[in-house]
Amino acid sequence: MPNKITIWKIRNNNPLRKSFTKNNIKLEEFDALVKITVEMSKYLYPYIREILKSKEDPKNYSAIWNDFHKRFLELINERFNINSIRVKKLLNQTENDEIIIKSLLTLSLCLSNEANKKLKSFLYSF
Amino acid sequence: MQNSFLFNQSSVSLEIIGLPDYSNNEDKDQISIISQWKLNIIDKPLIEGKMEHLVPIMDAFYIYSNLLITSDIPLYESNLIDIKADNLHIHNIVLKSSKPDVEPLIIKIGNSLLSDIINCFDQLNESSKVRIKKSVFTYKIPKKVRFTLNNRVKFYNFILPPLISICSLVLFSSILFYFYYPLENEEKNELINPK
Repeated sequence: MPNKITIWKIRNNNPLRKSFTKNNIKLEEFDALVKITVEMSKYLYPYIREILKSKEDPKNYSAIWNDFHKRFLELINERFNINSIRVKKLLNQTENDEIIIKSLLTLSLCLSNEANKKLKSFLYSF
Repeated sequence: MQNSFLFNQSSVSLEIIGLPDYSNNEDKDQISIISQWKLNIIDKPLIEGKMEHLVPIMDAFYIYSNLLITSDIPLYESNLIDIKADNLHIHNIVLKSSKPDVEPLIIKIGNSLLSDIINCFDQLNESSKVRIKKSVFTYKIPKKVRFTLNNRVKFYNFILPPLISICSLVLFSSILFYFYYPLENEEKNELINPK
């Protein structure tokens, strides 16, 4: 990844985005995105853990989950193509809990040196 | 004179106690022979066991966490440990003792504690200080997907050498054409205007 603009361009390969452009992502670029995600999850682990914990015990910690969920929906509305059926599923509050929790759990399990391989394995089976 | 190593992740700590294998010329600060291990989860009963129980328990957690992401019904059962999901957030662990007349230990943990446990096991797996038969579970990439991703690279590798050779042949022959033209012209001129 030579610069941030390249990352931004590769991000647009996501068909759910408003700014989707089909660039045919290369294997090396896919690997690079996986590595960036793993590094981010290492850095953000304490936050990810707190969000998961707040969902486990909503009576005592509901504020963290509510804040996260609110921001998640805001970002989806802002950046994703809300006419797509898959995006509508992400926005549906009764259906999106499982997707969000599985995604957070996937990130929280990928902190080790072999996390790249682990994350790829999880991504292929989604 | 036993060694002890502690692997921590948030609310979970894994302690490994044991000795180095001096017959293998190992350093005195390593562990190859585990005499005891303890998995300490805050607010939960202590889980401890012998060397032969550690790897099966690690495998159980790895397999279960993988099923949790990839499968709709995550469930792991063995003669040592059962793990199943109560719901999306709570997991039920049943630890069965190898000793007779000992009731199984039941622990309920959430996703946050589950990820802490897995991260402790990951630290142990990657530790150079503890030399044990590590967990056999590996994260596999499906063959079909591997093929799809590598296919593009292989296709280019396959097509590129003949393409380069054809281009160089064309270039080389075009140079020869350049040398042949004057000769042909001279012959033609001779035929038209014989001396």
